[in-house]
Amino acid sequence: MTTGLVTLKINGREVTVREGTLILDAAKEAGFDIPTFCYQANLSGLGSCRMCLVEIEGQRKLQPSCITPVMPDMNVFTETDTVKMTRSAMLEFLLSNHPLDCPVCDKGGECELQDLVYKHGPRKGRFAEDKVRHHDKDYILSPVIVKNANRCVQCMRCVRVCKEVVGRGVLGAVGRGVHQEETSFLRTRLDCDHCGMCIEVCPVGSFMRLPYRYRARPWDLVSARSVCGYCATGCRLTLERRGDTVVRAIANPEDGFNRKLLCARGRFGYDVMNSEERIKTPLVKERDGSFRPVSWDRALELMKEAILRAGPERAAGVASATLTNEELYLFQKFMRKVVGTANMDSTSRWSAESSLKFMEAAGIRGGGTSVYQCAESDVVVVLGGQLSEENPVTDYILRYINGARRNTLVIASPRGMKLDSSAQLSVRTVPATTGAFIAALLKALVEKKEVSMEGMEAVKGLTVEELSGVCGVNADDIRWIAARLLTAGSVGVLAGTDMLRYDDGAEELALLVRLLENTVRDVRVLPLLDRANQRGAWDMGVHPYLEPGYRPAQRRGHDVHGIVELADSGGLGFLYLLGEDVLGLYPDRAGVERALSRVGFLVVQDSFMTGSAPMANLVLPMAMYGEKHGTMTNQEGRVQRMEAVRRPEGEVRTPLETIGRAGNLIEKDFPVVRPGDVWKEIQKQVPGYGEVRGMEAFKGASADQVAELKPSFSYAVPERAEGEFWLLTGNHLFHGARLSQHSGILRELLGGCVVEIGSTAAQRLGVGEGDMVEVEARGYRERLPVRIREGTPDGVAFMPENFDGKDANRFFDKDRVVSTVRIRPYKKQGE
Amino acid sequence: MKEKKREGVLDILKKVLFVDILKGLSVTLKYNVSRSVTVRYPDEEKWIPYQRFRGAHTLNRDEEGRELCVACELCVKACPTGCITVVPQEDDTGRGIADRVPKIWKVDLVRCLFCGYCEDACPTTAVRLGRDYELACFNRTDAVRDRERLLRPQEVPEGFEGGMVVSARFERTKEGIRVKPDIWKPRDKDWWKKV
Amino acid sequence: MEKVLLKNLGREGAHTVDSYLSGGGYEALRKALGMEPEDIIQMVKDSGLRGRGGAGFPTGLKWSFIPKDAPEKYLCCNADEGEPGTFKDRGIMEYDPHLLLEGMAIASYAIGAHKAYIYIRGEFLFAARRLQEAILEAYEKGFLGENILGTGFSLDIYVHRGFGAYICGEETALLESIEGYRGQPRKKPPFPALSGLYGKPTVINNVETLACLPAIVNRGAEWFASIGPEKSPGPKIFGVSGHVERPGLYELPMGTPLREIVYEHAGGIREGRRLKAVIPGGVSAPLLTESELHTPMDFDSLAKIGSMLGSGGVIVMDETTCMVKTAYIIMRFFSHESCGKCTPCREGTTWLKKIVERIEHGRGVPGDVELLESLCDNIFGRTFCPLGDGAVMALRGVLKNFREEFQYHIEHKRCMV
Repeated sequence: MTTGLVTLKINGREVTVREGTLILDAAKEAGFDIPTFCYQANLSGLGSCRMCLVEIEGQRKLQPSCITPVMPDMNVFTETDTVKMTRSAMLEFLLSNHPLDCPVCDKGGECELQDLVYKHGPRKGRFAEDKVRHHDKDYILSPVIVKNANRCVQCMRCVRVCKEVVGRGVLGAVGRGVHQEETSFLRTRLDCDHCGMCIEVCPVGSFMRLPYRYRARPWDLVSARSVCGYCATGCRLTLERRGDTVVRAIANPEDGFNRKLLCARGRFGYDVMNSEERIKTPLVKERDGSFRPVSWDRALELMKEAILRAGPERAAGVASATLTNEELYLFQKFMRKVVGTANMDSTSRWSAESSLKFMEAAGIRGGGTSVYQCAESDVVVVLGGQLSEENPVTDYILRYINGARRNTLVIASPRGMKLDSSAQLSVRTVPATTGAFIAALLKALVEKKEVSMEGMEAVKGLTVEELSGVCGVNADDIRWIAARLLTAGSVGVLAGTDMLRYDDGAEELALLVRLLENTVRDVRVLPLLDRANQRGAWDMGVHPYLEPGYRPAQRRGHDVHGIVELADSGGLGFLYLLGEDVLGLYPDRAGVERALSRVGFLVVQDSFMTGSAPMANLVLPMAMYGEKHGTMTNQEGRVQRMEAVRRPEGEVRTPLETIGRAGNLIEKDFPVVRPGDVWKEIQKQVPGYGEVRGMEAFKGASADQVAELKPSFSYAVPERAEGEFWLLTGNHLFHGARLSQHSGILRELLGGCVVEIGSTAAQRLGVGEGDMVEVEARGYRERLPVRIREGTPDGVAFMPENFDGKDANRFFDKDRVVSTVRIRPYKKQGE
Repeated sequence: MKEKKREGVLDILKKVLFVDILKGLSVTLKYNVSRSVTVRYPDEEKWIPYQRFRGAHTLNRDEEGRELCVACELCVKACPTGCITVVPQEDDTGRGIADRVPKIWKVDLVRCLFCGYCEDACPTTAVRLGRDYELACFNRTDAVRDRERLLRPQEVPEGFEGGMVVSARFERTKEGIRVKPDIWKPRDKDWWKKV
Repeated sequence: MEKVLLKNLGREGAHTVDSYLSGGGYEALRKALGMEPEDIIQMVKDSGLRGRGGAGFPTGLKWSFIPKDAPEKYLCCNADEGEPGTFKDRGIMEYDPHLLLEGMAIASYAIGAHKAYIYIRGEFLFAARRLQEAILEAYEKGFLGENILGTGFSLDIYVHRGFGAYICGEETALLESIEGYRGQPRKKPPFPALSGLYGKPTVINNVETLACLPAIVNRGAEWFASIGPEKSPGPKIFGVSGHVERPGLYELPMGTPLREIVYEHAGGIREGRRLKAVIPGGVSAPLLTESELHTPMDFDSLAKIGSMLGSGGVIVMDETTCMVKTAYIIMRFFSHESCGKCTPCREGTTWLKKIVERIEHGRGVPGDVELLESLCDNIFGRTFCPLGDGAVMALRGVLKNFREEFQYHIEHKRCMV
């Protein structure tokens, strides 16, 4: 697609812009600001508020600049008396039915209507009639949204963002003329993503945050630019506090790649910071099993003794991939230099081998790939994982770009997802058969076009039909995708965490990428990760086989599996769990419980009493996002700086301080440091980070190859008895990792664990939405409410891994690739 | 030289006849018989200021007894000394004129400079600077007045014209001492004229 | 003049296909199907037929904008006749539905559409049923459906009932409504001729426009062009209502003077009263007074004196009419029918209505008329679609000619008449 340039005059100033640019944007380029209400970048043009009317030479009527594209030699005037009079008139009209209850309105002080009236508005009100009132009391649309239709200016941003970006379309307009009201169907409670995008785009106080209702005025708030800690999309958000209480998280459209976009977790999950359940002081376990508060000095002394007692071979640590780069770097340095061991990991869910393969295939060690560039490719393929639930904002970006550009979106995943509705083709693979699916795709590509490439010889022997039998995808669909891939000018591949969890498909993906690079001009791979700083954790070398910057480790340590095995055999004297709940997430609950109880001295540092914490000998409080400075690297490889909005309360300390002081106790030359010092060291020590400057930048590439990828091309359907379900786990849309269960707001959206099955399975079992079922495997039974997800095939069930007490890993069988469960309807006794 | 001598004689004469003392005493005696201008505060009388006076804050209610304050915090924003604290909350039981009412509304009168900006900023005329000027206290924290206190009806109603001395009673209560005026018993309407 | 459009009006049984065929019906379709589509478009261009819905856009020109090579095209018949004072299309649909169907078949053939929709006003239940019956009859006789008259051309016509919104008479709102969305206008460009119904090229024509086509095909473009003035030729239906002796539909040549329509055809003002004002073409057309009655009723002549022909719905008001009340009724209509999409129309028409209502009910205050005029200036030319402009033009027409009645109402709290 070639776009020419157009030169036009705006208020006599000549500007040259790309063809198809709106007058509004061209004027901005020329330095003239045109006020708008209904215009919203990334949404379809509406042109209804008439605020942006401009004069164009030769046109009888004023034209809306937000939907009129530029034409060559246009002569536009944005500051004439007619235009100014029009702006004032439109504001007068909008105010005529606006309740002017600004003192009560939560938007007061940051309201677009206020701002524009102040700037362009009439100085006198002439409206003396009765105003239209839709209702007397604000009504609640969802646990996070409260609505006042009287204040609405009918810009339809909420309706459009819900449909075009979020993909829910639960909002619409009811009534006509002045009685028009943008709301849910019959003003009923919404069953939606609860992402609050409607609130964020609302120019006035029509859609408001329920948790923020009457909490503060905008000028009360102290804000800091932070990064969301709930998934690896890594949205930039601004945290705002009043006093010491964090009262809201907003997305600043001027700041960060996500602009206005945030999901429910990002926008409403901030209140974990205010939770009363947080660990506030260091706690040491008494002989009787109870915890006693101790001072930090004593706690660190105990930690030092345990480390020295255990010795390097019998020590290990697991750090959460949600910490900052600085903390992770210092953690691995502490483990390697002070403790003297390479037994460490940044996950409790997958092996070091599978992560090595994934890093190589998804280009993790390379430089960054922008999600926008990836989404704007001619063909976008989403492989594995649960994009819409784990990375909701990536889902939003894909949806609106797909809606605007109409490129081909293909999804292959085991479970139905919201993005399916935007996809040209959405196929359901059998869990853990992404490799077979990609192999089938490779074969279909080779069928269409002869490629001689290293590694492709083995593909020739395969048949699409055979592989399609394994992965459960129709062979015609695979051929259709292959045809699209061959004709595309650019391809974006989004690779999900299924490849990590099941150690499946990374080799094939690497081969596919190499093949496409030969045939297609432009191929980009974007890893989809579920932990906020997983990529940073790998970059920083929190890996048993890799040192910072993907340098092969001198001496390999144990990964999380190795650590658990070592502990189980009684060979572990010291284990440091930094923000990671191994007990809650490791795919063998019984095994890890036994192993942790055999650890000589277990230190858990976390913000909350996690599943593992009660087993610890020493529990340390930990500061969370919003309470610390640092940098995070998101799944794109974008390094973003985050600021603290407030100091941690009381005895709560950052991991950086804890590790620094602990290290300093053991070795005198290990410095107690500030984030800035560690960052300087990272820039020197970690390839790719040296050039990173400012608040946000892509990291560079590091050159080392981390794994040799050779697909075996032998596949099998994971075993499953008739009537059983493969159990998938992961983040829920409203919950990320184990942290969000402590957010009161998010708990209101989803209070407890659920089990999600497809509609055909629900029909077979005879259960409906919300009915209780009994999930059973390996002798464990759990009664859970059912959620029905359209598009999920029979035989696949999903459980969020976010809830203490309802741990999905109880059902896991460590020896099987994908564990299976039996689900049956649960009837109360007497029914 | 001669002049000086005469002055000396006059001086002696004055001293002999106690002229200056009588002069002075005449003033005293005159006041002894004239009407008193002393405001017998706090025992019997009290000065009620004019309506425009800016004393301690009050919070008003509407005719139906609902709180006028909507906790918009504009007074907080307008206050040059930062002496007002407002924390809003939602309450749709009809306590206020809107469902937004103050959970906390307090003013630190030690910091207040009685400029009246809060009055000007108030969109609902909820906050007014009243005519209470007896602000002395033993403890700094006693100078902080909270919502309950400010919502009490004023001793001098808003409509009362003021600018007069009225009879008053000095009282000792559990809360401390106070001078209770009886505005319907004006003592002296034209006090200023006497001065 | 021989009636072409209304020849069957009021005749018992005229709506059946047999009756229509006996009057030479569907001959034009047979003839048209034997011609090249381009020739038909040229013929319509030559005839000078201008859209009868109100805007008066040349029909042939509109058709020629349709891209020839587009695989899917649509014809939409705008039968959402909702403007007060307009009832011409209803007459055709109720008494001569086959005339419309034949016209639609010709138009569809000319532009290459194989699907056509009749978007009919929801309240016209009787007309919708008659049309549906007629469509079934036409299918039976082979004038619709697959392979019409053995020529290989196929056409399906659907009747789509609206739900009582005036705005759906606006062509893009009509398309939105057919697609199942809220009846609100779309942004233009792209114009429907390029991206209309379901994003495909679409022609939208008024019922009367389409009903003219069989006659044009039968009798030739020259015949059509010879009727009435050169710039806007052809027969036109005028719907006369209001204070006249004989209200009703009159098919007359374009350019017939208003006085002739009111006094000769409609029988003059009832009870011998004097005429006060005439709305020449539906309520959005600014009204005319006695002194302007000589104006020929065609698009250009009326536009010249600041009014418009619109739909040709002539509303006659005699001297007993209170013009404030007239303005109130008109404004009430527009504010009720404003779709709510754009600010000036949504808020402006309601505000205007409220002021006029106040004046009408004796609560006007000095300065109200000036406020009305100022608001009219603020609305006019700034709305998304012509609805807001129509409201303003109507009100301006009343204010221009009867300002003193408003002042009187404000001063004396009662009507002048």
